[in-house]
Amino acid sequence: MAYLSMGEAHRRITDYLGRFSDAVSSQDVASLKHLLSLSSNSPSLLSLADALNLFQDANRLIKQSDKYSQFAEIVVPLFRCLQNYKLNNLVDAYHAYEKAANAFIQEFRNWDSAWALEALYVIAYEIRVLAERADRELSANGKSPEKLKAAGSYLMKVFGVLAGKGPKRVGALYVTCQLFKIYFKLGTVHLCRSVIRSIETARIFDFEEFPQRDKVTYMYYTGRLEVYNENFTAADQKLSYALAHCNPRSEENIRMILKYLIPVKLSIGILPQDWLLEKYNLVEYRNIVQALKRGDLQLLRSALEEHEDRFLRSGVYLVLEKLELQVYQRLLKKIYIIQKQKDPSKAHQMKLEVIIKALKWLEIDMDLDEVECIVAILIHKNLVKGYFAHKSKVVVLSKQDPFPKLTGKPVNA
Amino acid sequence: MMNQGGITETLAPPGTNSLEDRHVVDARHGQPSSYSSSTVGSEASSWTPHSVNNSFTGNGYSAGSTYGFEQQAQPPRRDDMNSATEASSLSLGSTSVPQDYNGYVTYQNPTNSYGYGTTGYTGYYSGYQQQSNHSYSQPAGAYQSTGSPYQPLSSFQNTGSYAAPPSYSNTYYSPGDYQTAGTYPNSSYGSQTWNDGNYANFSTYQYPNYPSTSSAYGSGNSAAASVQYQPQYKQWTDYYAQSEVNCAPGMENLSVASSSNPQCPTPGVPDGTQASNSQPPPTAVPSWRPEPVSSGLPSQQQPSVVASAGHDSYWKQHAAPGFQNYNSAAGHSAFYQPLDSKNAYGSYSDEQNSTSNQGPNLQYPVVHQVPQIHQASQQISPTLDPRRGSKVQIQTNPRIVSNLALGLTKTDKAGSGTTAVAKPAYIGVSLTKPNDKGLSSDASDPALKPATFPKSLRGYVERVLARCKDEEQIAASQAVLKELITSATADGTLYTQDWDAKPLFPLPDMDGLSNTFQSPSPLPTLRRSPGRRTKSRWEPLPEEKLVNKTPPLTAEPLKYGGYMNDRNRKPFVGNLESKDGLNTTSFLAVEQKTASFQKPFKRQRLSNSLTTADNGDASSDSDKESSLTAFYSGVMGFSNTPEERKKRESRSKRFEKGHGNRVEISHFKPKSAGSANLYTRRATAIVLSKTFEESGSKAVEDIDWDALTVRGTCQEIEKRYLRLTSAPDPATVRPEDVLEKALTMVQNSQKNYLYKCDQLKSIRQDLTVQRIRNKLTVKVYETHARLALEVGDLPEYNQCQSQLKTLYAEGIEGCHMEFSAYGLLCVILHSNNYRDLSSLMSRLSNDAKNDEAVKHALAVRRAVTSGNYVMFFGLYRTAPNLNSCLMDLFVDKMRYKAVNCMCRSYRPTVPVSYVAKVLGFAYASSVSGGSDEKDSDGLEECVDWLKAHGACLVADNNGEMQLDTKASCSSLYIPEPGDAVAHGDSSLAVNDFLARASS
Repeated sequence: MAYLSMGEAHRRITDYLGRFSDAVSSQDVASLKHLLSLSSNSPSLLSLADALNLFQDANRLIKQSDKYSQFAEIVVPLFRCLQNYKLNNLVDAYHAYEKAANAFIQEFRNWDSAWALEALYVIAYEIRVLAERADRELSANGKSPEKLKAAGSYLMKVFGVLAGKGPKRVGALYVTCQLFKIYFKLGTVHLCRSVIRSIETARIFDFEEFPQRDKVTYMYYTGRLEVYNENFTAADQKLSYALAHCNPRSEENIRMILKYLIPVKLSIGILPQDWLLEKYNLVEYRNIVQALKRGDLQLLRSALEEHEDRFLRSGVYLVLEKLELQVYQRLLKKIYIIQKQKDPSKAHQMKLEVIIKALKWLEIDMDLDEVECIVAILIHKNLVKGYFAHKSKVVVLSKQDPFPKLTGKPVNA
Repeated sequence: MMNQGGITETLAPPGTNSLEDRHVVDARHGQPSSYSSSTVGSEASSWTPHSVNNSFTGNGYSAGSTYGFEQQAQPPRRDDMNSATEASSLSLGSTSVPQDYNGYVTYQNPTNSYGYGTTGYTGYYSGYQQQSNHSYSQPAGAYQSTGSPYQPLSSFQNTGSYAAPPSYSNTYYSPGDYQTAGTYPNSSYGSQTWNDGNYANFSTYQYPNYPSTSSAYGSGNSAAASVQYQPQYKQWTDYYAQSEVNCAPGMENLSVASSSNPQCPTPGVPDGTQASNSQPPPTAVPSWRPEPVSSGLPSQQQPSVVASAGHDSYWKQHAAPGFQNYNSAAGHSAFYQPLDSKNAYGSYSDEQNSTSNQGPNLQYPVVHQVPQIHQASQQISPTLDPRRGSKVQIQTNPRIVSNLALGLTKTDKAGSGTTAVAKPAYIGVSLTKPNDKGLSSDASDPALKPATFPKSLRGYVERVLARCKDEEQIAASQAVLKELITSATADGTLYTQDWDAKPLFPLPDMDGLSNTFQSPSPLPTLRRSPGRRTKSRWEPLPEEKLVNKTPPLTAEPLKYGGYMNDRNRKPFVGNLESKDGLNTTSFLAVEQKTASFQKPFKRQRLSNSLTTADNGDASSDSDKESSLTAFYSGVMGFSNTPEERKKRESRSKRFEKGHGNRVEISHFKPKSAGSANLYTRRATAIVLSKTFEESGSKAVEDIDWDALTVRGTCQEIEKRYLRLTSAPDPATVRPEDVLEKALTMVQNSQKNYLYKCDQLKSIRQDLTVQRIRNKLTVKVYETHARLALEVGDLPEYNQCQSQLKTLYAEGIEGCHMEFSAYGLLCVILHSNNYRDLSSLMSRLSNDAKNDEAVKHALAVRRAVTSGNYVMFFGLYRTAPNLNSCLMDLFVDKMRYKAVNCMCRSYRPTVPVSYVAKVLGFAYASSVSGGSDEKDSDGLEECVDWLKAHGACLVADNNGEMQLDTKASCSSLYIPEPGDAVAHGDSSLAVNDFLARASS
């Protein structure tokens, strides 16, 4: 690195301070947010960090001037954060940033207008990203990672500042989304509920007034929550909203939405086109879709086993596993069609033995009782219309639409 | 008696022990001792008032009561005191005290104002009284009583004082002493003597007493003290404050020694300190020695001591024989003997019996103090000795101050039935209440704790004392030291002064010094003890709190101040006084704080019941003790409401146990230790105490948990579980090898789950307390988890499971897979939450997935999520380990779902035999049914179940039962569980309870 003179360092610091105070006094968010955006790695901030590491007495510089000292609460920890950030000391950087962020939200609270929302967004984002990195550093050192949690409680505070009435409310959803990200990462999803409640119950503020990107993110996360809750109708609705409003160019985001939307759609009987899976690189679903189409129980099971880890991590494993009943339905339907071709008059009577034989072809060994049970469940869940005669071991299918389609409704319990 | 015995044992060591050692020990133990002293003081005062009150105390009590209420009744007390001329003594004490104890300062000041300060000796008494006053308004009474004792004592002073220490120990043991109603009368006598105005005498008496008390503490506490005290110290910050008070007593002792019997005090004191350090017996011995020397009575006392040497016999001795003997001795050489613990006891008993001897009465006052000390010791002892268990109970009772007071009065009446007792009882009642209040007020005092003394100062004191050739010199030196320290504290140079460089002062004139010394110390002790009490009415609770708080406090200089002072002072005091007394006293004081009120009651009771129970064996059965305590508390009728009583009982039990164990330890040690071994023991004890101290003081910044980890010494395999409410007592904690045996015992036990659960919990507690985390820990938790599963005790199982999770995570071997499977099943069957389930499943390793039990659990999960009842009951049949126990909990739900499903999908009927087969009824009956399973195939059970759930059953042409699916479809319901119990756990219901109760 080029030699940095003391004078240059001093100049950079005062320059930053000047820009900061100008931005605040002129309510210039655009420049203010750049001054706070740590992870942007902007050259100006990096060179400022160098200067700060050289010129150790920046605090005095701040305190000397009335103009700067009013921002001392924000800028002093921010400088310390920059120094540590530059030195890759992320835990300390996080601490300093949180301090600065606290001071900022204090100021923000006192500003009547929401002019600094953008800057607040930057802070909310930065503090989360920094906390994640600090946690990585912590766990690498064998310590318990807890910074993300701390960031979560800071953002909760920010949410409290924004969630009230008034112009600042527009920012609430952004913070909510950042909170979602933290909670999902920490696995403390239950904490989302309170935030969701305050977003969705607020009558004064129409959800549509929130920024588009926040709405999409919000719908994505709440949709995922609904998947966890096995509430497939709501999940479908939310994730579909997210998909419909997502910027078509952000393919990664679309893929993330589809990752959950496809299992949801499958479980309500809607199968994706193959090209969709190809396009968004969701090929792990291909075999599952195939199994559903063919009624190939074996294929479904092997597909689930193959991608078990992935499905378990994303939390869709149990959703996909439930598709088994639909596969059985498909299988029975196939048998029914074949029987119909052979002898239409007896097609609606399906012997249990036939089903067992079909399963054997699929290399699935099930005894009579188990198959009987499956059939009972199919009838019970309304995937098959008809009844089962225990004495004769025959499934008697309804003559009218014996295999009703789900058509967007989940398998009923 | 036990105490005495202990004392005798200790005597030999004390002699050998150097003052320094004592100091060290004292510092730690001294705190306890200080407590005891303070408590003693308060108790003594209170008691004395009771007894004395008949004549004098009556007034004093009234005043005291008012004061006590005011807490700062000091002024009134002072007035009383003044009238009694005790004030002067108080003033002296106060002066010294203030320096030492900031908190006490206010009290002291008042006393100072009295100007009695000149009568430093009286000051001691006053100090005690003040303490008592602070804590209790009683002080006035106490003063009187003490005053009287003092005067008589003066004549006997040295011998008496020395003897007194033993007596203290005795008093500890004998709860009956409290009844010392006799003592009260005595106190009244004493007060008369006060009127006479022999302040000097008083002081001397008191001092001896105090030392003796300290020694008693040492004896009682000593053994336990070393081990147990460490925790206690921390826990009992309040105690520490009290310990300061103890120091004051120690001071008194010193002064006494110097004034009257320099020789006696010094020997006694050193001994006491030593004893206090580790072994109570030694301390007692020293005290005894002095007694013999001084009064010649020693011979009697000593014998008695010897008798008591058997620690076990402590209580018994106290119970009566010892006392009576002493009393007789006291009666003759009343003054001397009063000093002796035995004498004191005797005097108490005598007094109670026949409050006739005025002369003895004087001694009695001393004795009263002693009893207080004893009480203190008892309190301490509870932790230490098993015998104390009974004592402990008493202590617990004290919580109910008002009740105690009443009880005390009653006891007094009964005990002293002769004459004054009844009146005192009334007085006593009033007094006790004041005391309580006073105590509460005192509690506030602790804040005033003096700053700690610098180490250099301690070293200086040790140097000074090291050059002393005899006790007189020591006493005198101590007095000078006291002055030095006081003045240094006053100018604030205590810390700044370079004590290391400070030249030693010329050996002071013995006569002059003794007075000054005495006066200062008493006050602090008294105040502190009350202060501690103030913290909470229910002493046990405060103690606990204190314990918790103390560790943090240690870090803070101010808070620790009191503690530190105690330590530091103890050395000083100990030196001055003879260290012994202080240390021990401090412990006692602590206990006394709690027990002081209670003690009277307890003592009486204890004397009766305890002697019987305790005498039996040192290692008294904890159950017995607890039952006794419970019985006592119930009998006493302290509690106003059943709930309260229950609570108290449980608390008292808790303490009893702890005490019992501790007592055992202490006793054992003394016993085992030959006279020759005493030295080495003491030395080790000192080392131990040092380490303890260090660790304690360290606690603030950087707690070395390894150093603090308890190492259990309990050898009993069976132990009931009690939730810890204080720092664990090593004496009640079983070491690893014993725990292993205990585990085996539980595993092989034929008793019911409740018993096993209790035992396992206590094992778990001991493991936790000792921070043992190894295979044994895993084994214990696994055993408990399995047992809990077998009976369906899910809460307990969950506790074990969560512990096992972390233990496995630490890489400790165990049946990891088995419990992973249980964990899975739990989530599946209970929360059935998608997210939990998938996160749990995603965390399963490949090894786990290939494990039989885990595979089974995963299969069960599939069966449940898909509603595949055939698969579920198939898996139920083949469940490995205890998986079926967890599945049991889901069986009913699964069956209901299955029948629901069948009713919807089957037409027209399903044979019940099929249902029974598919839904596991056949299996269940074959498991439980025995021979006829083939016939029924679980059919009847299935029919019953189906009927209970509203199914419609019809018989077909062949007479076979059929489930009419269409009719049942809409009629199914889940019945109210017939065996539902309010606590939601029918598996732990009445049958078990009854079985347990009858066994």
